[in-house]
Amino acid sequence: MNLQRIVVIGAGTMGSGIAQWFAQQMCYVELVDNSEDQLKRSVQSIHSSWDKLVEKGKLTSCQVGQMKQFLSTCTLEKANPKSDLVIEAIIEDLEIKKTLFKKLDSLFDKKTILSSNTSSFPITLLSEAVSDERKPNFIGLHFFNPATIMLLVEVIKGLRTDATLCESLYQWFELKGKKPALCKDSPGFIVNRVARNFYGEPLRIVDNDDEQKFKEVDTILKEVGGFKMGPFELMDLIGIDINYSVTHSVWEAFNQEPRFAPHHLQKLMVDSKRFGRKSKKGFYPYD
Amino acid sequence: MTNYEIDNILINFGFASKEEKKEILRSNSQKKVFMDLTCYDPNEFYNEFPQLKGTFAALFCDDRKKIELHLKEKNELFLQQLTRLEFHPVETSIVSCGFIFPRTIVQIINEAYFALEEKVASKEDINRAMKFGVNYPLGPFDWAQGKEKLVVTLLDELLLKTNDQRYRCCSLLRNDFF
Repeated sequence: MNLQRIVVIGAGTMGSGIAQWFAQQMCYVELVDNSEDQLKRSVQSIHSSWDKLVEKGKLTSCQVGQMKQFLSTCTLEKANPKSDLVIEAIIEDLEIKKTLFKKLDSLFDKKTILSSNTSSFPITLLSEAVSDERKPNFIGLHFFNPATIMLLVEVIKGLRTDATLCESLYQWFELKGKKPALCKDSPGFIVNRVARNFYGEPLRIVDNDDEQKFKEVDTILKEVGGFKMGPFELMDLIGIDINYSVTHSVWEAFNQEPRFAPHHLQKLMVDSKRFGRKSKKGFYPYD
Repeated sequence: MTNYEIDNILINFGFASKEEKKEILRSNSQKKVFMDLTCYDPNEFYNEFPQLKGTFAALFCDDRKKIELHLKEKNELFLQQLTRLEFHPVETSIVSCGFIFPRTIVQIINEAYFALEEKVASKEDINRAMKFGVNYPLGPFDWAQGKEKLVVTLLDELLLKTNDQRYRCCSLLRNDFF
């Protein structure tokens, strides 16, 4: 497999990170977004990140000069229809994603691989928006934030995805220094499923709104468990609302299996707008 | 199990059944006892045995030998002995069945087994995903290696204590133990 021409749709945090990573692999990347301003901000931020890496001596100015040449922006209609891979990284809204994929199916060559960076929707469900001919070339590629640093890419095989394509992409990412993990199209895939208990169990241990206990649990899991962050400080960083939403969607997808049940404190926090760092109050205060 | 006796204190390390642990306490009613209760609920033991002055969870500790410790009564001899054995205790006021780290990690391991049982991914890919997607220091199956008995015992204890099906042990994990 040789991926050279990539289209990334959505210039938010994930889309920008994914575009940056591919440009760093010297792939031609076209970054697409509905908002011109967002595209400008994204490119500025990627350029600034590269310039900082030059200052730190991690990249040469020659390398960064090349990377900048590999990254461009355009409208969806002007993207190269013969691209090798399209990665969708837009808002997590099923109907908006399906409408986009229907359009992508008509715009891009049938050999182009269409993929989604979704963390919450089944790949097979999204693939319903594309033609039968495209379905073997429709796959999930779930990157982790920040995409340039986090090595994992979940390679998700939908029911109609060609198994050879999964293997080829797995090998390609491995060759480029990522740590891919091949997984079935199952709720939460691997990480968002297995990691649920890193939050759910500490919530049940503390069981009520007690900052001192949140701190104790965070300390134990860092000091004794060796985790880089404790669950409560991590939920505050991710956003308690986002974490609750992922927990809730995995729980629903598993027919309300008790192992994934949200904790009452999560809902209370969301209802009282204690979202974490972004609202200056979560499990901890941030004044 | 290993017992250390120094003056009037007894320190009990290692895994044993709940009844065996209680038997040690019964036969040492005149001593101050400090006991590893990784897989059980310290509250149940504290309520029954006033000679139990502290509990700890050392069965899941890695090479760094950092362990969770709960003290009802501070005892220098006990702390010195832990230091002599190169343990690094981290004290907590929270008394919970399975403490904090063991209870959290067995749930992560159990879910990884459920995912494996459903063929979501291979063991290697699940380990890899957790290490490189969310920076876990080890993959769930690395953590479980050789400790399946402890994981199953603690999950069964949590289920018994709470009657909450979230602690139901995955049959694949139970099979690995047996």
